[in-house]
Amino acid sequence: MTRRERRLRRQGLLMMAPALAMLGILTAYPGVYVLWLSLQQRVPVFGIAEFIGLGHYRFLLEDPRFWTAARTTAVFTVASVALEAGLGIAIALALRSQQSLQRVAFSLLLLGWAMPGVVTAKMFEWLYHPAAGLVNVVLAHRALNWLGDPGLALPAVIVADVWRTMPFVAILAHARLLSIPSEVYEAALVDGAGRLATLRYITAPLLRQIVLIAVLFRTLDALRAFDVMYVLTGGGPANATETLTIYAYRSLFQMLQLGFGSAIGVIVFALVMTVTFVYLRVLRHEGVTT
Amino acid sequence: MAPARGLTARLLLAALLLVLGCSAEPRSSGVTLVFKHAHIIGPVDPIPSLLRAFEADHPGVRVTSESLPWSSDEQHQFYAINLEGASAGFDVMMLDLIWVPEFARAGWLLDLSPFVDAQGLSPYFPSAASAATSAGRVWALPWNMNAGLLYYRADLLAKYGLRPPETWDELVADVQRIKAGERDPRLDGYVWQGKQYEGMMVNVLEAFWASGTTLLGDDGRLFPHPERAADALAFLRGLIESGISPAWVTAADEELSRRAFGDGHAIFLRNWPYALDLFRGPNSDLRDKVGIARLPRRTPDGAGAGSTGGAHLGVSKRSAYPELAVALARFLTGARAQKDMMARAALYPTREALYQDPDLVRDHPALPRIHTLMLAGRPRPVTPHYLVLSTTLQPEFSAVLVGIKPARRAIDDGRRRLEHFLGSAR
Repeated sequence: MTRRERRLRRQGLLMMAPALAMLGILTAYPGVYVLWLSLQQRVPVFGIAEFIGLGHYRFLLEDPRFWTAARTTAVFTVASVALEAGLGIAIALALRSQQSLQRVAFSLLLLGWAMPGVVTAKMFEWLYHPAAGLVNVVLAHRALNWLGDPGLALPAVIVADVWRTMPFVAILAHARLLSIPSEVYEAALVDGAGRLATLRYITAPLLRQIVLIAVLFRTLDALRAFDVMYVLTGGGPANATETLTIYAYRSLFQMLQLGFGSAIGVIVFALVMTVTFVYLRVLRHEGVTT
Repeated sequence: MAPARGLTARLLLAALLLVLGCSAEPRSSGVTLVFKHAHIIGPVDPIPSLLRAFEADHPGVRVTSESLPWSSDEQHQFYAINLEGASAGFDVMMLDLIWVPEFARAGWLLDLSPFVDAQGLSPYFPSAASAATSAGRVWALPWNMNAGLLYYRADLLAKYGLRPPETWDELVADVQRIKAGERDPRLDGYVWQGKQYEGMMVNVLEAFWASGTTLLGDDGRLFPHPERAADALAFLRGLIESGISPAWVTAADEELSRRAFGDGHAIFLRNWPYALDLFRGPNSDLRDKVGIARLPRRTPDGAGAGSTGGAHLGVSKRSAYPELAVALARFLTGARAQKDMMARAALYPTREALYQDPDLVRDHPALPRIHTLMLAGRPRPVTPHYLVLSTTLQPEFSAVLVGIKPARRAIDDGRRRLEHFLGSAR
């Protein structure tokens, strides 16, 4: 390294320092602090602060509420992301062939995406109303107890979440479709490819990368999902819709068990990191990132 | 050159005066107190005019009011974060009465005992006063009052020659009789709050009391009679299984159940007094058709008692003006302010005498009756651990209500979990 290179490098580091310091203060410090909290029994209201090592993690290992929440989180994530990706792509394809109503459809999609989660949840609360809700009226006046039946509550919450976030996938896929040159399709037509063959050999491979990225974002959001179930069911009935983040929130802010709640937070963090790692490997394999 | 130098000097002087003027200004304007409270729903918010009245009595003092988040959970979270941190952003704060022992234990509240002696709490409902005191000290002043009531369709009961039920057996029989006679598939029997949240805890506690037991015994023991508690929970589940209550009560909160009853789709309802003003309001279909009664009892040694609730006012220990803040809390919980809040916003007073106040009774003829019903109410367990108890037990009780866990197992599971969390705190 020449002197000039060394100087440039030093300059570069200096320039990056504010950003790194910011990241350190806002991310690394609280992260390490939460990890430290999770090794303690810490209940400030009662003046309890003692180091208990892995005690909370050992309790969680055998805590049925934790495992139920973990299972709920997994089911919610897989089901909602799969539905969002499937419906999102279908809608993007439908939008492409729309001529006159494309703008209206696009605005409606954006509206669903732009609405705050709590508002969406409140709206769905009325849609699911057992007697007067639109959902039961449409289903020929069935008296389905959407939010009060442990078997129906999670599907009901998933549908509300899909309605809200599917536009994200649809809009990204739509943008990608716009960038595919029409010559490609004309060539396929000349080669005698039918609609299915075009979809399979041209559209699908070209959409693949953008959908993977959309799915990555959606998965990370779904793993940390909170507002929809918090408003719709409060995690009930019988914890049927309690995700790990709701469990962490209740422990932290309602029971004020800072150590115990932090331990759940650390596990959610580890889970999100693992999933991110796996996705990034896949994306690298696909050549999306380096 | 010389004129320019003069100009600079003059500008500097002006700037200096400006700075001095600015820094001197706020010092002379006196004290500002911050009152933190939930937004009051209703046609008229009585708070601003009350604060102006307090300011008129205390020259040099300004009171600003700040809104809390909308839901009780978020309010608790707000306080926990702000009071545990070093922030002293407010002086007087509105508290759900179930938080008072917890906040007192945490050292967030100013001990009001030097300002309010035992006599000072005697005008208040005993259950409200007991929620404001712990370990013989006063931590808050009762501000407004709530108690669980049984609402019934007076017209339907009269049609079948029935009197308001005093026991749960009578209520069940009344529902069967009226439903058989009305033959209306949209008419439900008894609606209540069974969603997994604090409101469900209140309904379960009332079932415990009606069955002659409680959640926390006088000796501090959890579930002093586990078999009775299990029996009470099984009874609530039975209401749903037998169709006396619709299945959707497992997702119902106060508003959902209030609307079903208000639309004429239920015979009985458990709710707070606020619903009465809506049922008897100008837009109601049920104006003269609603009666209120004490919640029924189940067993001969049980008590039909509604759970009491409501808001208290506490003073932050970090307040810079503790004496003025206490004066504000006393003013707002005083007879004049509480009368104003009842008259304008239908917030029920914690001072018993106001229930006989001729001005108030003229506009709210049910007040003396509500007074009797509130006197029969019981507080939820007064303990700093209440939120831990409630948060831990909610999913267990909810599991019984939706029929996926036997009542006895839910109680044993709940007790086991609580030992883990409370073991070190006792």
